[in-house]
Amino acid sequence: MSNQKSLKAWVQSGKVNRKLCIFTFMLVPVALLVIFTYIPFIKMIGFSFYDMKYIGDREFVGLQNYVEVFTRKDCFQALKLSLYYIAASFIQLGLALYFASVLSFRVKGSGVFKGLMFFPYLVCGIAVGFIFKFFYTRGFVLDTVLQWCGFNLEQLPYWLKDTSINNISVAATSIWRYMGQGMVMFIGAIMSVDASLYEAGDIDGANSFQKFIYIILPNIKTIIVLNMILSITGSLSVFEPPYVITGGDFGTGTYFVIMNRLAHESQKVGLASAMAVVLLILIMIATLIQKGIEKYYFGVGETESIREVRKRKKRLEAEARGGAQ
Amino acid sequence: MKNNVMRRMLSVSLAAAMVVSLSACGPKETEQAEKQEMDVTLDQIKLGEDYTDIEADLKFLTHKTDVVDTTFKGYIEEFQKLYPNINIEYEGITDYANDITTRLTTGDWGDICMVPTNVDKDELENYFTKLGDKGTLAENYEENMLNNFAYQDAVYGVPSMANVQGVIYNKAVFEEAGITELPKTPEEFLDALEAIKEKTDAIPLYTNFAAGWTMTAWDAYIDGGATGDPDFVNTGLTKGKDPFADRGDGTGPFAVYNTLYEAVKRGLTEDDPTTTDWEGSKGRLNNGEIGCMALGSWSVIQIQQAGSNADDIGYMTFPITVDGKQYAAAGPDYNYGINCNSSRDNQIAAMCYIKWLVEKSGFAQGEGGLSIVKGDEYPEALQALEGIELVVNSPAAAGEENLFNDVNNDSELGINVSGAVPTQIVEEAVSGNKTMEELAAEWNEKWTAAQESNGVEF
Repeated sequence: MSNQKSLKAWVQSGKVNRKLCIFTFMLVPVALLVIFTYIPFIKMIGFSFYDMKYIGDREFVGLQNYVEVFTRKDCFQALKLSLYYIAASFIQLGLALYFASVLSFRVKGSGVFKGLMFFPYLVCGIAVGFIFKFFYTRGFVLDTVLQWCGFNLEQLPYWLKDTSINNISVAATSIWRYMGQGMVMFIGAIMSVDASLYEAGDIDGANSFQKFIYIILPNIKTIIVLNMILSITGSLSVFEPPYVITGGDFGTGTYFVIMNRLAHESQKVGLASAMAVVLLILIMIATLIQKGIEKYYFGVGETESIREVRKRKKRLEAEARGGAQ
Repeated sequence: MKNNVMRRMLSVSLAAAMVVSLSACGPKETEQAEKQEMDVTLDQIKLGEDYTDIEADLKFLTHKTDVVDTTFKGYIEEFQKLYPNINIEYEGITDYANDITTRLTTGDWGDICMVPTNVDKDELENYFTKLGDKGTLAENYEENMLNNFAYQDAVYGVPSMANVQGVIYNKAVFEEAGITELPKTPEEFLDALEAIKEKTDAIPLYTNFAAGWTMTAWDAYIDGGATGDPDFVNTGLTKGKDPFADRGDGTGPFAVYNTLYEAVKRGLTEDDPTTTDWEGSKGRLNNGEIGCMALGSWSVIQIQQAGSNADDIGYMTFPITVDGKQYAAAGPDYNYGINCNSSRDNQIAAMCYIKWLVEKSGFAQGEGGLSIVKGDEYPEALQALEGIELVVNSPAAAGEENLFNDVNNDSELGINVSGAVPTQIVEEAVSGNKTMEELAAEWNEKWTAAQESNGVEF
């Protein structure tokens, strides 16, 4: 009998109280997530099994849409364009890491630089598209600047028309836009590095480059990995830059642009949904492979890399064997 | 570790709970609103006499974002002199064609909208109110303009105006290039463009490639205008064999598309199609930096107003002559449609407003379009076209109303929808990878495959 408490006391008891807190705080974000992400997503998976338009009857066709995704030429052709964006994302990460480590030491006006470099990320993607559309227009910004540098207009390519470089032009815009974001994340990570490590480094006579390699890099490993995963998955699903700048014409149509075309212009909603699902699976596979490689070679967070562990194990085994004989 | 698992369990169960609670209230919300049967039709209403005391708040979805706060406000004021208790709220949608299809499916989008072109005809009755029988409405309105959204003799959409498909040009530039007579065949047209290139500084033909939708103007030439046959769209295009093949006599789809291909290939268009600027092009055509553009007649007013040389702007038919005669394709612009789920009062009020818009507002003339009301005059901008025979596409035969849409969607050529064909022409003409004949063969192949999958027999 003495074990029974009043409801109020039960609610106020540590364990329940904590769960209740979590529950109420989670309610709004989870609700938003479910309504705007999971329900539409589940619906979309459903759509991918139908031959349907936005308006009108739908017909169940089983896996036919998926078969078509894999047999059409344009779908996977478009995925090749992702290589441009993956290359761009590595350049972007390199630059971000460079600026982050420079700016996290005491530099005059670092706040201003950080602000300036982060700014493009705040501009909406559509606006960025329009900015670069004019930037690349014949005789406009880029051409003018290059002419100041001594180029002739005749020597310059058509940045968006010439199919040998137009994908590079478009991918470059995403470097411009996302570099600042990566940089801010890296600066945050570098800030959290224990200052006593630098002191120890100073005492041992390490120069700035050595400090970067041996102190900063191992400490921000996780955030670098995270950024890499985000950029590769982002590269597979590029949409805004090609859609706004070129409309996907002249061979710049990425997977998403093709998908959007099929859904909106040819009303093949089922096929487009199937494309989306296929891409999701591809992204999941890419992420898993990446994670695996990370775990094997570098280790995640505090845990050691699998390769190290195995090496040590082998060594120990060898030693043990040696000891036994 | 255990703590972690607990937390995950909790969040998962939370999510599950949310899904269950949502799906519990799901069916009730997604259930289609009850369709309101209507007995009143557009022709029965006498403006200013019937229903003048009706009370309603109407919501009107429109693609004309530029005049929502100006012209349309004036319309509401005028209209309220007759119907003081009807309030109308306009909502301008920038990406109209895409957004409206999604919003229509909800059933709860407002009262009046411009009917999107991709609604299948047999679906019309599920979304829109019947406005009247075609025969009765045709007493006042041009009958062949009512076909676009008519199904089994019932009309679900009335055109806000009608367009003619031709080429807008700058008279001063043509004069400077020494072109005294308007070109009547594709060859003459290309020669004229060459002359403009040689003798003036203007860009002969501006494609407006980057805007995308502007390219559909080329699709609009291929049927009636290029053949003089109002049935071509049905017999030649939808059910015809290899409609894109060269007919050899400078008519039909091939002749139209080949004109664009040759113009781009010979460098008679702008340098860099990827960075064309639609808003800017209006002013440049007006002041003579551009020779001509392929656009429907709706563009005339906009381009006249884009600068100080309104008098220089002319409109001509697309340069194709069929057996010594020129034709111009004409067809309805966006149609007004009424939500069949709205209340009876709202629907009647909406009908009054639509009728007033079509007959009394002067919208069509103001936009440089043709009015669909019988006996109304041509707008000033298009008087040059008077005397040229307008060809309006015939409606598809009963039972085949959706066939064109189906073949068009399945083939992914997007004729009159996406401008995919003209876009591809420009791309290939620039790169020089494919000849026009190869392109035409490709389209024929796609088109035939789509025809076959939709049961068309030759």
